[in-house]
Amino acid sequence: MMSVWGILMLKYWVSGQIVYLLHPDYMWLSNTAGIVLLAMAIFKVMRRMRMSPLSSRPKMQHASLLPQGWSTSLLLLVGLLGLWYTPRPFASDIALQRGVTDVVAVTRSQPQAFRVSIKPEDKSIVEWVRTLNVYPEPDEYKGQAVDVSGFVIHPPNLPENYMLISRFILTCCAADAYPVGLPVKLDGEALKGDRSGYPADEWFQVKGRMGTETINDDRRLTILATEIESIEEPRNPYDY
Amino acid sequence: MPQWSNALTLFFSLMVEAMPFLLLGVLSSSALLIFVDERRLLEAMPRHPFLGALAGGLFGFLFPVCECGNVPVARRLLVKGAPSSVAVGFLLAAPTINPIVMWATWTAFRDQPSVVFLRLGFSLFIATIIGWVFSSQVDLRPMLQPAVANAVVPPSTSLLQSGTFMLGGKGQTLSRFDTSGVAVARPAGGDLWVRIPLVVENMVQELRELGGMLVLGSAIASIVQVGVPRDVILSLGQGPVTSIIAMMILAAVVSICSTVDSFFALSFASTFTSGSLLAFLVFGPMIDVKNIGLLLSVFKGRAIVYLFVLAAQLTFLLTLVVNLYIS
Repeated sequence: MMSVWGILMLKYWVSGQIVYLLHPDYMWLSNTAGIVLLAMAIFKVMRRMRMSPLSSRPKMQHASLLPQGWSTSLLLLVGLLGLWYTPRPFASDIALQRGVTDVVAVTRSQPQAFRVSIKPEDKSIVEWVRTLNVYPEPDEYKGQAVDVSGFVIHPPNLPENYMLISRFILTCCAADAYPVGLPVKLDGEALKGDRSGYPADEWFQVKGRMGTETINDDRRLTILATEIESIEEPRNPYDY
Repeated sequence: MPQWSNALTLFFSLMVEAMPFLLLGVLSSSALLIFVDERRLLEAMPRHPFLGALAGGLFGFLFPVCECGNVPVARRLLVKGAPSSVAVGFLLAAPTINPIVMWATWTAFRDQPSVVFLRLGFSLFIATIIGWVFSSQVDLRPMLQPAVANAVVPPSTSLLQSGTFMLGGKGQTLSRFDTSGVAVARPAGGDLWVRIPLVVENMVQELRELGGMLVLGSAIASIVQVGVPRDVILSLGQGPVTSIIAMMILAAVVSICSTVDSFFALSFASTFTSGSLLAFLVFGPMIDVKNIGLLLSVFKGRAIVYLFVLAAQLTFLLTLVVNLYIS
């Protein structure tokens, strides 16, 4: 059981899949735990080889909802499932379920460093959303250059010539990932005019200018796209 | 199919994040079992009911165990003649007031430091109050299971009675301290090479038992998140009263260990009120389904009902205040 879990956690580390699951600040915890588990497994095996089964101490009991054997086999099964299953970063279905916002709730991640000096075209989606939180008047950003990358969401409540370009933000692990996104207006020249040309979950680099659009009676900061380029999904799809 | 895949990703993310803390928890609980003699600490305990309850609560700093480990410790404290306020205060607060749980909560709720502090404050407050209430019963024996009550040293006699007679208690095997005999018959002398293997053995044992609960808890959390429609959760999670009740019931049912429960709660952070998250984090370590079995090895049913009702009411009131006035 311990060896399976140790190997599983090291597998996430070596293969880099750990970025789908955890915030980088906490990866070392999981990596260390993997090593410790393996060490414990080796210790157990060595002890078992040295001692005859008769001389081992009586089994300790620790009351728990599950009978002893069940708990171990459950852990073992789940560990094996983990080895077989490849985690996948979240996509637009989760984003829609959790609700995409351009508002980072006050209780959530506060910007650690607020840099005003950053050039608008260097800002990522997350930085845009944070800026917008501090100063929410969309007209303030009118005309600023935008160059962001993210995955596409087609929210059912947006008109056909809009889509959302989004990222997930992690504060600890995938369990608390929440999506942020900005609407993109697709009316520019050389664009396909409606979002069907940009399928959901595909990654794109969007360039354009900021503007204010009224969508569903709501004035929102919108990217007036001039250029949209398909890109590979980044190795680490989340932002922090 | 993508639903399953999302649920699995969520599930493994919870497991991978919680596993290091579970390891730390079992490491310290095992080290405590093998290396520390709690009898000496007991002698320094204050006798005043309020201070005693407070001290019992803060005791957790020295005994970093989760709620699965603290019932046996509380039981040992009682048997060795600790005042009831100390024992009850310890029982309720120790799973939360300890460095490992604090670190885990901090890791999970880095963005909402208020959750971390309020969790500590509320737990200590509730534990102290209940410990105080219980101290009005100077002699706890009528509330204890006969086997434990018989073993209790009456408050007047010396604390330094030998602890071995607790082994005679009707052959109860609920506590690991009894059957293993490790706590009583600790290896003499300070030989590290004798003790370290014992620590590792105990870690393996606890990891196996508690890991299963972690798997179940994480599975429930991820299935609820992916499977239950969002508006149902939202309508439940946004009401100041319903959210607290829902989270308290969840806490009691899921019985997840206090070292890892913050990660569980975190997965509900975006949809539930922070008061209800607090209710989960405060109430869960005190009373839950898994714990009741353990508590029954010490207290009679009546005393557990008192504990349960008092803890539930206090948690509910405090967290409701948070929901209505603070957040």
